[in-house]
Amino acid sequence: MYRFLFLLASLLLSGAAWAQPVTFGASIQLTGPVANTGRYYKDAYDFAVEKINAAGGITIGSARHPIALRILDNQSDVNLSVRQYAQLLSQDKVNFLLGPFASNFVLADSSIAEKVRVPMVQGGGASDQIYSRGYRYIFGTLPAASNYFGSTIEAMAKLNPKPERVALLYADDAFDVSVAKGTRALLQKAGLRLVIDERYSTNASDFSALLSRIKSGNADAVLVAGHETEILNFIRQAKSLNVSPKLYSFTVGVPSADFRHALGKDANGASGMTAWLPSATLKDRWFGNAEEFARAWKAKFGYEPDYHAASGVAAVQALVNAIEAAGSTDPQKVRDALAKVSFDSLYGPVAFDDKGQISLPQIMVQIQDDKVVPIYAGKDFINKLEYPLAPWSKR
Amino acid sequence: MALLLQVLVSGILLGGLYALMALGLALVWGVLNIVNLSHGALIMVGAYVTYFLVTGASIDPFAALPIAAAVLFAIGYVIQRGILNLVIRGPMFNTLLITFGIEVILTYLAQLWFSADFRTINPNYAGSNYSLGGITIPFVQVLAFAIAIALTVAMWLTLLHTRLGRGIRAAAQNLVAARLYGVNPKRIYALTFGLGAALAGVAGGLYGTVSQINPYIGGTLTAKSFVIAIIAGLDNPLWVIVGGLFLGVIESLTALYVGPTYRDVASFGILVLILIVRPSGLLGRAA
Amino acid sequence: MKRIVWMALLAAAVAVLAALPWIGNSVLVQFGINVLLLATLAQGWNIIGGYAGYPSFGNSVFYGLGAYGVAIAMAQYQLPFWVGMLLGLTLGVAFAALLGLAVLRLKGHYFAICTLGLALVMTAIVSNLEIAGSNIGLVLPLHRGEVLFYELALGLLVLATLSVFWLSRSRFGLGLIAIRENEEGAAVLGVNTTLYKILAFVLSAAFTALAGGIYAYYITFIDPAGAFDIVLNVKMIIMAVFGGPGTVLGPVVGAFILSAISEVLATKVTSIASMFFGIVIVIAVVFMPRGIAHLVANIRRTGWRYFAENVRTHRL
Repeated sequence: MYRFLFLLASLLLSGAAWAQPVTFGASIQLTGPVANTGRYYKDAYDFAVEKINAAGGITIGSARHPIALRILDNQSDVNLSVRQYAQLLSQDKVNFLLGPFASNFVLADSSIAEKVRVPMVQGGGASDQIYSRGYRYIFGTLPAASNYFGSTIEAMAKLNPKPERVALLYADDAFDVSVAKGTRALLQKAGLRLVIDERYSTNASDFSALLSRIKSGNADAVLVAGHETEILNFIRQAKSLNVSPKLYSFTVGVPSADFRHALGKDANGASGMTAWLPSATLKDRWFGNAEEFARAWKAKFGYEPDYHAASGVAAVQALVNAIEAAGSTDPQKVRDALAKVSFDSLYGPVAFDDKGQISLPQIMVQIQDDKVVPIYAGKDFINKLEYPLAPWSKR
Repeated sequence: MALLLQVLVSGILLGGLYALMALGLALVWGVLNIVNLSHGALIMVGAYVTYFLVTGASIDPFAALPIAAAVLFAIGYVIQRGILNLVIRGPMFNTLLITFGIEVILTYLAQLWFSADFRTINPNYAGSNYSLGGITIPFVQVLAFAIAIALTVAMWLTLLHTRLGRGIRAAAQNLVAARLYGVNPKRIYALTFGLGAALAGVAGGLYGTVSQINPYIGGTLTAKSFVIAIIAGLDNPLWVIVGGLFLGVIESLTALYVGPTYRDVASFGILVLILIVRPSGLLGRAA
Repeated sequence: MKRIVWMALLAAAVAVLAALPWIGNSVLVQFGINVLLLATLAQGWNIIGGYAGYPSFGNSVFYGLGAYGVAIAMAQYQLPFWVGMLLGLTLGVAFAALLGLAVLRLKGHYFAICTLGLALVMTAIVSNLEIAGSNIGLVLPLHRGEVLFYELALGLLVLATLSVFWLSRSRFGLGLIAIRENEEGAAVLGVNTTLYKILAFVLSAAFTALAGGIYAYYITFIDPAGAFDIVLNVKMIIMAVFGGPGTVLGPVVGAFILSAISEVLATKVTSIASMFFGIVIVIAVVFMPRGIAHLVANIRRTGWRYFAENVRTHRL
C-alpha cells in the first residue's frame, strides 16, 4: 500500500516538475527539389530540441517544460507549406513556429504567423523583402543578403595585385538579387571596377555564354550569387572551357561537404563565405562549443553540418531563451522578449535588430587541399589566400 | 568575333546533346502517336543508372552507356506493355495524362531511393579540352555530340533498312494492315517505346557528365525535348539533329545578346510560334 | 420533381459551405479556400476542355495573369483589391481572345502542347518584367482574416458552376459539344465554330483569372513560379477528368475528392503523398477515363464489368 502511494506520489511530483510541453511547429522541404538543404533544418531542429530536453527543457518559473516538435513535409510546394503552417497553428495548436528553408517560402509562410500573431523564428531566408514589410512577429537568424560578399570584398581590396576587373553574376531569385544589390554598393565603396554585371535564370544549367564573356572580358575576379546546382555547373564548365579567373567566390556551396564531394579536386581554389565555422571559441549552453557540436552532428547524422544547420539550432535556442526571459508562453510576451534577446551560442552571438534580422559578419573562406580554410574576418587575414589561382591547365 | 564563335561552338555542342534527348521522344511520338510526358523522367533514370555504374562498378561513363541503354529499354518495354498498351486506343489525351502520372511516380521513387542530393558523373578527363584557333572545345561535350549524331543516324538507318524498322513504320501507318503481314502489334509497340527509352537512357548518362543529376531534372528536359521535336517535325530522325542544333544555337545567342534570363523566352517562344504558324514542324511536311 | 430535389440539396450544400467559417475551424477554412479555388479552375477548364473538347494545358497563364493583375495593382500602385481583380480579369480575357484566334486553329494534342508552351513562355517573360517584380515577385498588403477569401472563392465557384449549368442547356453549349464530337460536321451545320471556341476560351479564362486574383491576395506573395505554376495545369485537368469532363458537377466533385485525399495524405502519411497523384492518374485513366460522373451513371447498369469494359475498348 505504501509502496503504491510512494510510486503514485513520485509520479505526480515528477509530473508536476516535468510540466506541460511547449510545442514548436515547422513545415520543411523534406521531399522535392530543395530537400537536400531542407534536411539540414529538420535535423537541426530535432537535434537542438533533443539536447535541450536532455538538459531539462525550458524553465518557466519553477516548472521545467519539455519541448515537443511537430515537423511537416511541404514537398517543396509553397502553397502546401502555407496551409501546413495554418494547420500547425489552429489544429495542432503549436505554441511557436520555426521557419522553412528559402526566402520565397519564408515570404509566404511568415504572413500566416503575422496574421495570427504568433512568433516565427526562421533560419532559412535572408532576402531583404522579408524584413521590409514591417512585420513584427518574424525573426531571422540568417544575416542580411546585401552583406554576403562584405568580407570577400574587403579582402579583395587588400590583395596585391588588386583585382582590376570584377564580374558579378547572380540568379534572379529574391535572395540573390538582394546580394547583388548590396555587392554593387560594396564594390563601389572599395573602388573595384565592375565590368560584367549579369542576371541569369534560376536553375540555369548552361553558362557557356557567360563564361565566354568572362574570358574575353578578362575579368580578374568573378563573384557568383546563386544556388548550389548552378554553381556546380559554373565551375565544371569553367574548367572545360578553360576560363581561369584569378579569384572566384560563391554565395553557397563552398562550406558544404556535398559540394566539395561533387567536385572532387576541382573544388580547390573556390572561395566562399559562411557566417559560421565549427570553432571551439563559440561557446554554447547546451552543446559545449561549436566544434563539439559539429562532431556530435557528424556522429549522429553521418554528414557534416554547415551554417544552415547552425542557423536552425540558433533559431530553436532563440525561442527558448525568449520564453525563459518572458517567463511565459504568451505569444505577445515572447515576441517582445525575442526583440530584446541577446546570448552566445554555437552559432555566434544571437540578437535581432529592429526589423527582426540577426547581424553577423560573413567569414571569407577558401577550399584548399579539400578543406575549408577561413581566410578573412573582421579586419584581418586569418590565413593566406591562394591568389592568383593557377589556370586550370596547370592544376 | 572570337566571343561569338566560342558561343556558337558551345551552342552547337549543347545542341547535339539536346538532339539526342529529343530523339526518343520524337520516335515514340511519330510512330506510336504517344506524347510521352515522362520522357524527361526516363532521361533522369538513365542518368542515375549510369551514375551508379560509374561509382559502384568503376566503369568508364561512356562504357556504361550501353548498359544504361539496355536497362532503360527493359523499363520502357515494361511500361508500354504493362500500362500504356491499356489505353492506347482511347483518346490521345489519355496517354498524355497517364504519362504524366508515370512521371510523377518515377520522380517520387527516385527521390525515395536516391534522395535529393546532387550527383555528378565526373570522370577524370571531364575538364579536358582542345584549343582550336582561340576557341576552347570541351572534350566530353564533343564526345557527347558525336554519340548523339551516331545514334541518330543509326536510328534512321534502322527505321529505313531493317526488318524491325520496317515493321515499326508499318505499324505506325496502318496497324490493321501491318497485322495482316504478321506484325505483332503489342510487341512492336513495346519495342518502339523501349527504343525510345533506351535513347533517353543514353542521353541521361551523357547529361550526367555535363550537369548535375537529381530526381527533379525530368520536367525541364521533357519541355526542351518537346521544343526540338516540334521544330524537327516527326517524320525523319535526321531532322531532330537539325532541330537540336537550332535550339542550342538560339539559346546561346539569346544568352549572349539579349540576356541570360531570356533563354526560356526564346526556346518556348519558338515552340509556340512554330505551332501557330506551321503545326507540322519547321522541317516536316506541310500538314 | 426530381429536379427540384436536386436543386434543394445543392442549395443546402452551398448554404452549409457558406457557413463553414463559423461552424468549422481555421484549418477547414484554409483547406476550403484551396479546394474552392481548385474546383473553380477545374470548372473553368471544363468549359474549354470538357465541353469544347480542346484540352488546354495552359490555363495557368490566365491564373497567373489574374494573380499578377491584383499584385501589380495592390503592390505597385496601392489600388484596392477589386480594382486589381478587374485588372486581372481584363488581362486574362484579353489574352484569351487574342491568343485564342491564333491557337484554337490547332487540334488535339498540338493544341495541348501549344498551350503548355504558352504557359512556359509567360513564366519566362514575366520573370523579366520590372513592373511585375521580375523573378523576385511582389509582396501584397496583409489582410487579416480568411473569411473574405473563403466566401469570395465559394461565390466564384457557384458562379462558375451556374455558368456551366446554363451553358449545358443553351445553344452555345450544344454548339460546343457539337464541336467536340465532330467539328467539321458542326461547321457544315452552321455553327460558327471559331466564335464559339473563342467564347469558350474567354469564359474559361475569366473564371481562372478571377481565381488567380483571389489567390494572390490570400497568399500575400506572388512570383512567376507560383503564379504560373505548371503543375496546377495538370491538377485542374486531373480533377476535371476524374470527376467527369463535360458534366456540370463532375469537376467540382473531382476537385473535392482528390483534394481531400491529397490533404489527408500530406498531413498524415506524408511519405507517399507526392506519389499519390501519379497513382490516381494512372488508375483513373485506365479504369474510368470518363470520370466519376460517368461511373456513377453507368455502374448500376453494368456493375463491376464497367471497369473491364473500359480497359477492353481502349487497350491494344
